[in-house]
Amino acid sequence: MLSRSKLLFPSIARNIRCISKSATNLSDNLFVHRDTPEDNPNIPFEFDEENKRRIKAILNNYPEGHKRGAMIPLLDLAQRQVGWLPISAMHKVAEVLGLPNMRVYEVATFYTMFLRKPTGTYHVQVCTTTPCWLKGSDEILDACKRKLGIGVGETTKDMKFTISEVECLGACVNAPMIAVNDDYYEDLSVKDTEEILDSLAKGQQPKAGPRNGRFASEPAAGLTSLTTEPPGPGFGVQSGL
Amino acid sequence: MLRVPLTRAICLTHSSRVLVTASARLQSNIPAKAPEKVEVFIDDQPVMVAPGTTVLQAAAQIGVEIPRFCYHERLAVAGNCRMCLVEVEKSPKPVAACAMPVMKGWRIKTNSEMTRKAREGVMEFLLANHPLDCPICDQGGECDLQDQAMVFGSDRSRFTDIDHAGKRAVEDKDIGPLVKTIMTRCIHCTRCIRFASEIAGVDDFGTTGRGNEMQVGTYVEKLFLTELSGNVIDLCPVGALTNKPYSFSARPWEVRKIDSIDVLDALGSNIVVSTRTGEVLRILPRENEDINEEWLSDKSRFACDGLKRQRLITPMLRKPNGELEAVEWETALIGVAQAVQNAGDKVAAVAGSLVDAEQLIAVKDLLNRLGSELLCTEQKFPTADGTSGTDFRSNYLLNSSIAACEEADLVLLVGTNPRYEAPLLNTRLRKGYVHKEQDIALIGPKVDLSYRYEHLGNSSSIVQDIASGKHPFAQRLKSAKRPLVIVGANALSRSDGKAFLAGLHSFANQLTPEDKNWKVWNVLQTNASQVAALDMGYKAGVEEIVAAGPKVLFLLGADGGAINKDNIPKDCFVVYLGHHGDNGAPLAHAILPGAAYTEKQATYVNTEGRAQQTLVAITPPGMARDDWKIIRALSEVIGTSLPYDNLDEIRDRLEDVAPHLVRYGRLEENNFYAQAAQLAKLQASSLQGDIDVKQRTLADFFMTDSISRASPTMAKCVQAVKKAQATA
Amino acid sequence: MRIRDLAIYFGFDKLQRLYQDVKIHGGLLMAIQKFRRFDDLKSGRLIGQDKYGNKYYENLYYFFGRSRWVEYPEYKNCEMDGSQVAPEWSGWLSYRTDAPPYADPIKIYTKYKWMLDHSENLSGTKHAYMPYSTTKPKIEAWVPKKDD
Repeated sequence: MLSRSKLLFPSIARNIRCISKSATNLSDNLFVHRDTPEDNPNIPFEFDEENKRRIKAILNNYPEGHKRGAMIPLLDLAQRQVGWLPISAMHKVAEVLGLPNMRVYEVATFYTMFLRKPTGTYHVQVCTTTPCWLKGSDEILDACKRKLGIGVGETTKDMKFTISEVECLGACVNAPMIAVNDDYYEDLSVKDTEEILDSLAKGQQPKAGPRNGRFASEPAAGLTSLTTEPPGPGFGVQSGL
Repeated sequence: MLRVPLTRAICLTHSSRVLVTASARLQSNIPAKAPEKVEVFIDDQPVMVAPGTTVLQAAAQIGVEIPRFCYHERLAVAGNCRMCLVEVEKSPKPVAACAMPVMKGWRIKTNSEMTRKAREGVMEFLLANHPLDCPICDQGGECDLQDQAMVFGSDRSRFTDIDHAGKRAVEDKDIGPLVKTIMTRCIHCTRCIRFASEIAGVDDFGTTGRGNEMQVGTYVEKLFLTELSGNVIDLCPVGALTNKPYSFSARPWEVRKIDSIDVLDALGSNIVVSTRTGEVLRILPRENEDINEEWLSDKSRFACDGLKRQRLITPMLRKPNGELEAVEWETALIGVAQAVQNAGDKVAAVAGSLVDAEQLIAVKDLLNRLGSELLCTEQKFPTADGTSGTDFRSNYLLNSSIAACEEADLVLLVGTNPRYEAPLLNTRLRKGYVHKEQDIALIGPKVDLSYRYEHLGNSSSIVQDIASGKHPFAQRLKSAKRPLVIVGANALSRSDGKAFLAGLHSFANQLTPEDKNWKVWNVLQTNASQVAALDMGYKAGVEEIVAAGPKVLFLLGADGGAINKDNIPKDCFVVYLGHHGDNGAPLAHAILPGAAYTEKQATYVNTEGRAQQTLVAITPPGMARDDWKIIRALSEVIGTSLPYDNLDEIRDRLEDVAPHLVRYGRLEENNFYAQAAQLAKLQASSLQGDIDVKQRTLADFFMTDSISRASPTMAKCVQAVKKAQATA
Repeated sequence: MRIRDLAIYFGFDKLQRLYQDVKIHGGLLMAIQKFRRFDDLKSGRLIGQDKYGNKYYENLYYFFGRSRWVEYPEYKNCEMDGSQVAPEWSGWLSYRTDAPPYADPIKIYTKYKWMLDHSENLSGTKHAYMPYSTTKPKIEAWVPKKDD
């Protein structure tokens, strides 16, 4: 009886994999466009005057016939102007470059830093990859959520903040860290985080960089090597020379 | 993606185009030295190939087939499916055969352990995310993935990851009423994307997202609005893009496939008709380098369901109370014969756009025996003053041949929209534009030709200016090496068509192309029957018939509207011989049901003058019969039997009249250009008004003849296009 | 005796039988009438009659296979068919049993209310079952408009 059940269970286990499940979602982004009141092709988009000058300068970097190379800088300009990248901005970029819209969609969907969903003025990106996680990024993330009252991937009602959980942003030495738009805030504690969010909410621009007194990514406990002044020229050279 | 040769297709800015053109011209002036061939070894067989040949092409030269998904001869190389990996001796990694040019002395192993392992690995990755829905997939049986998995894949699956990530799933896209998409099946070969942007010129497809989330699609919800959309179904190596009207109807091994010719435009594209249980299920293109390459327009491909609707299946006679009544053949033939006998020589015939040569000759012989010469085609072609514009064949043909159109360096289109009048000629022009620096100019309304062209205006005075050499474009044509003048048949059917013919023809003859045999003067016909009818001596246009007021009028599938209730005498006995109840049949007093092009073995001559024959795919429905046989039977009842009893005999008769009509597949050389122009000049008159074309947008393309007007699929297409245009 | 043998030898007894059969059937005219309907003129013992009016006869003078027969009722005229035989008589008529239905206990006692009445084979008559197609016709014909 026992031996039979031993035979039976593996065969059941084997057959269970025939039961299909729906595929897991591997990305929180959608790679097709759906018209929404916030984002549809009928919303007009126009580069502002300053950006128009910038576009001219950027386009001058590319030879005739290869203007499409300017697509990423142009999309970036559009995203900086709006805060995110609406579809009408993509259409505008296509128009400026004389390209079919699809070629712009291809690029805009490929790069994750192009935000194709309405995003707050401050895009709070909390790194939760291993080094930051070891240094307590979970608390930082919780602090952000609690402070702003929204979850990951959500935007506050006043369209000021959006929280994203991101993979390594390359500041592991200064873990844990968050990136708000272009600025890195590093070596954070929960208090630091709340402070940063508070001053952002007031419209101030907190100073970027490490928060624990470090200047950059030097060792936190002081230098352990290269502690002396570097010897000057002629150091260790034969006296005859 | 590798798109180097396609800068022109992609960069729509005008200034860049000029620059590219200029540099290419500069290079083309230097005579190219024949490059030395290099020797490579494919599976130890030596083969000499030109430098720059890819491994895959070199292998194909000695008949070694390397498996591939993304590679297609007529599209740019993408190199993203990795199925064509082969081992090259001394190379540490396998190389992608489709994208790698051969080097001297390479020893390529297409069947080594490494190659096989590479293929097996690629196949395993493809199958890991491909659904196992072959039993419900329409591609089953003609699926590259299925076939190649059988030959090159592993014999068992290691895929057990149903708990963790599972198979990826992609939402389906709605790209119109013709192409059904099941995007989960997509293996990202990007053939459809490349087809859309390179051949069709509609950059609607692309890849969005990246990695496992990458998907092929349109990003925004959008119809694939092109007249060539059906070709992506053939290109798709899996079942991601399938034929929507044909979906779930048959397996490829169940159908009978009959080689035939398309007649819905004047190009005579070669097709394969798939039938089962006496029904035409679908139409696929057949490769013919001289005509359609391997493409087919949507109308030719999808209008086949029109063959099942609005059909004339019994002979009918009009009762005294004015209603048409189904009768037996005997009654109908006697009824018609009586009318003909009473009419004396006041008998006339009008040929529509889908009539075959056999029928044309039978009707002509019959009417000539009755003493009548009133044989006309529906579409006009300039004739007047006793000298006929149709006396010389070169006057009304696309003389330079369809394939040569891509070789031209400067093309002038007059009064035509080739994109919709002859979609596959337009792909040739686009090919010339994209790959061979062809420049194209158009006189006529501004339409979207899928490539950039110089719009000279739509006033007919421009034609006059060019003909007299005053227009600056005339100078460009004169200095061009291989100029082409393509005039639409509809422009020539205007009342001042004579002036078009006279002016442009003599101008075309003045041009001095580099090659003495280069033909400048081209007419793009729109009706499949027109060339054969004119070859046989039918007169173009129905004015003579209207003027003569015949007592009996034969409408040979004449549904174009040239003959209507108002321009024929009230007592005229109208006999409609055709296959669809469309515009012509309601006029008729007697209806003789004929066969459609899939139901008869018949000869058609395309716009370049190439005779081709359709073959019998299915039998004509109901009591319908071969058209020429009906005429033959009728002649016997009338009392003047025509002297042919079978197909061979009527084709002998065709050969007597015009030998080229039975030289199937051959292109006849045309001549007498100078004389034709001289003759045309005699009848010169002045031009008035603007030039217009009948088919301006895609919505005008789908329903142009009795078959496509009866087709529900085509009706859906028109609706979809109109809806899309309204919202855009 | 010898005369009788002689008569048998020359077949006169057949004539005598014919005479008797004609007489049993009620005269020459009636006999011709019967012959016209059944292509035969047989006389035998009436075994029974079913509810449709068929009469079942037996005459062991005839050899096996011809010794039992049915005479269809007059109202059927010449529209006769084997399937008009009542099902309970079929066994007796085809020698599956020697007991006529009224003497066969199984047939007497196995009567259920769900048993359907017998119906004859209607093939070839206007009541015959004609299956009709539920699929769409492959070809849709053009119907001329009435006002044209």
